[in-house]
Amino acid sequence: MSDPHSAPSTGSFEREALVHLDAVYRFARSLAAEDAAAEDLAQDTLLLALRSWHQFRAGTDCRAWLFTICRNRWRRVGAREARVEATEDADLESLASAAVQAGLADVDPTGRFYDAPELMDVVRRELDALPPEYREAVVMADIEDLSYETIAATLGVPRGTVKSRLFRGRRLLQEKLVAYAQDAGLLPRAKEGR
Amino acid sequence: MIDCHGVMKRLWEYVDGELDPEEARAIAEHLSMCARCHPQYEFQLAFLASIVEAHGRRPAPRPEFASRLRAALAEVDPAALS
Repeated sequence: MSDPHSAPSTGSFEREALVHLDAVYRFARSLAAEDAAAEDLAQDTLLLALRSWHQFRAGTDCRAWLFTICRNRWRRVGAREARVEATEDADLESLASAAVQAGLADVDPTGRFYDAPELMDVVRRELDALPPEYREAVVMADIEDLSYETIAATLGVPRGTVKSRLFRGRRLLQEKLVAYAQDAGLLPRAKEGR
Repeated sequence: MIDCHGVMKRLWEYVDGELDPEEARAIAEHLSMCARCHPQYEFQLAFLASIVEAHGRRPAPRPEFASRLRAALAEVDPAALS
């Protein structure tokens, strides 16, 4: 009986790894500031993955494995180190995010302004502008739909750190979007003194 | 019985499907009855939908990129491309 976690043959690379090309590119684009740099990073990632294909264990999450390679490559090439951040409490970040909505309870309690087509470019721009450690958590959770556990394994951090980075990233993004929507007249400003 | 404060602390984990079934059920029940918390839930869902929508509109990699990548991969190991 074959081991389901044995090393795969390179013949399986296309159907196991290359199928994630768009996801790898999106993730690379969330790290790199420009399209060309994202393409180079995505290409380096898949080349490294092919050279290391014998290390991939069949039956595990190939997309998460590729993200790990991509992130490590990005850090190494750019000599970028994760910023040391204060340990944030995920519960406090959740409550801070709730406060964003609470500030709009009188004008748009359910966030209808998020549907505005003109907001889409701003969402992309502000997501790209998030500090990298928050951006990668938001991209992996909200766009790639990875679990906290998978993100934690990919980033090499505890699950609690994933939560605090993710919730803080979301909250920072929400604050930017609310500010833009208010400035652009998409969202009335809440009344003072309430 | 979970209160509004408890729901707000766990709302992201609830939205992300990261809670155990019992806690998720308690929050779902609270949300179904609470006029203060339910809009919060809708607000966060609208926010997350905007991220997915915006990202879907992000330009895809150029077609020539896939060709360039496949050529590079074939140089490393032609068997990788079946």
